[in-house]
Amino acid sequence: MLKELKKQHALIWAFANRDFATRYRSSVLGWAWSLVQPLATLAIFAAVFSIVFRVQAPVMGNGKTSYAAFLFTGMVTWNLFSGLINLSITQLKSNGELLKKVQFPAYTPVLGASIVQLIQVALEIVVLLGMFLILGNIGVTWLMAIPILIGTAFFAQGIGLMLSIMNARFGDVMYIVSVLLGALYFLTPVLYPMSLVETHSSALAWVVKLNPMSWYVQAMHDSMYTLTAVSFLEVAALLVGGLLVFWAGFVIFNRYSEDIGEML
Amino acid sequence: MSDYAVESTNVGKRFMRSSERRNSIKERIVRGQGKRAEEFWAVKDVSLKIPRGSVYGLIGHNGSGKSTLLKMIGGIYRPTEGTIASQGRIASLIELGAGFHPEMTGRENIGLNGSILGLPRKEIAEVTDEIIDFSGLREFIDDPVKHYSSGMYVRLGFAVAVHMKPDVLLVDEVLAVGDEEFQRKCFDHLYSLRKAGKTIIVVSHGLGQLEALCDEVAWLERGSLQEIGEPTDVVASYLKRVNAEESARNPLAEAKREEQDHEGGLQSALRLKSVQLTSTEGNVLNHAETGTTFTFKIGVTLYDTVLGPNIRVALQHESGPLVTMISNHRLGFDFSYVPAGEHTVEIDLLDNPLLPGRYRVHVDVFDHTGAKLLDSWNEAAEFPVRSGSGEIGQGFVQLPAEYRMN
Repeated sequence: MLKELKKQHALIWAFANRDFATRYRSSVLGWAWSLVQPLATLAIFAAVFSIVFRVQAPVMGNGKTSYAAFLFTGMVTWNLFSGLINLSITQLKSNGELLKKVQFPAYTPVLGASIVQLIQVALEIVVLLGMFLILGNIGVTWLMAIPILIGTAFFAQGIGLMLSIMNARFGDVMYIVSVLLGALYFLTPVLYPMSLVETHSSALAWVVKLNPMSWYVQAMHDSMYTLTAVSFLEVAALLVGGLLVFWAGFVIFNRYSEDIGEML
Repeated sequence: MSDYAVESTNVGKRFMRSSERRNSIKERIVRGQGKRAEEFWAVKDVSLKIPRGSVYGLIGHNGSGKSTLLKMIGGIYRPTEGTIASQGRIASLIELGAGFHPEMTGRENIGLNGSILGLPRKEIAEVTDEIIDFSGLREFIDDPVKHYSSGMYVRLGFAVAVHMKPDVLLVDEVLAVGDEEFQRKCFDHLYSLRKAGKTIIVVSHGLGQLEALCDEVAWLERGSLQEIGEPTDVVASYLKRVNAEESARNPLAEAKREEQDHEGGLQSALRLKSVQLTSTEGNVLNHAETGTTFTFKIGVTLYDTVLGPNIRVALQHESGPLVTMISNHRLGFDFSYVPAGEHTVEIDLLDNPLLPGRYRVHVDVFDHTGAKLLDSWNEAAEFPVRSGSGEIGQGFVQLPAEYRMN
């Protein structure tokens, strides 16, 4: 896999360049738009859930609490996951004309698009870091966030590759996935802390705990928000788990993408 | 290394009829696997050896499998059976500018397209200038291609594809791009690629073009190979089949004249009744072929004995001009006394000199003095002339001529 990816890196970059160059080319504010949407969502959700539903955020590493910071930590992780999946799923269709006419590895436009999506995530992370700096919630446990986010990205990309080849064959996959992602969002402790579910329903808590995205989001909460150390084993598991899912997604994708020219 | 750039062995490609394909999960669930989808072999048992450095043509009807075969050679389709071995980089002119992104400039698209076609970044940088010059779009190269005209689009696409240093170039019906000047440039470039030992595989309906360009031609029909060989031979037998099929499909019904046409008209001793095209063997034709003798059969009814009628057949090209007028008096055929009754006049047009096109037939009959019109039938029939060789020619007729060099 690595050899293959290395061989195709120029083409992956060429697609990334294309998507980067064209993403906001015809809009005036350009990349600023990529932050407007998550920040607006953050503001609305923070207002609704902390004021209306009175969700209590856990205590931060510096002893204070901030629901907005808690929410944004989870959102950044979730957006990384859902952003990569949503983008990957449509890539084969949107590059269909090309794939039908020229022979090249079909995963290259998918991965190229994802690279550009990572820039968006990086911008969100910068905002998150700024937020924590202002709140004075800083710690060495932040370093743990790097492998956790990398694990999340690979995990999401692996699933994205599988779903993208499925969507090329069955056009309704993308609609099913958007419904499922919507449901999964609420089964991930982004809007609420884990403790809140545990006090209300142990059955529901189990469901939330079985959701792999909960593991990534909780690990991010620990390292960025509460500044508690995540065990080395857990970080390693999240990273290796993500890589394994990516490998599986890559293998499955290549197995079924041989006839991509006819499928589209 | 093998002497063949591309070698296909018993290659076949099967498609499932698209109406039967379960394209959505709902259909799968609702209709299940159902009966086995209907199979359709687009290409069947095709074995070709395409020599390195040759220009190879593929001909056949629409849907004969030429493009499917080309896509298999290009690696876009996988053969259902058989194998295709090819050597070197294959670049495809199947769809020009397929990889262009409308928001990106011409220059950016050259880079992207080059990467997609598999050229290393460094080499792309080297040929970019050449591509810009070849396309003749230097002025516009830094504008987004969405502002390009369709002609500019294909010019850039062609320029990119031929500069990707392909060992095998696949060309599908794209030789008709751009204006006359650009087309010439394209052909010159194809010739220079051939001279450089590159292999070119062309699919085209321009038979004359193929004859001029190709070293070898293969003819496909319903997915199977019909004939491989010298371009002139293969094109001739292909055309023979096409023309025969056309005749079989809709033989020219005898053009019969309505009775009303006579009414109130000439109180004449002679009436033109019908016009027909036949082959020399007497089969009714719906078209004539350049260079092949055919016969006009004109049915006439005589109510009285007529002395030496002059039967004139005027042929008018569809675009308007009168091409020629054939007259038995001028050619020295005298029928003297023709008794009353039904007669058929047969006029052989020897080695049909008419070039491909549509022609209208007007028939006039005069008496022996040439002064009295006995009957006149305007637009009695209209018939197409087809090429027998793939050559279309210029003008309306091909006059018999001989050349000598002294």
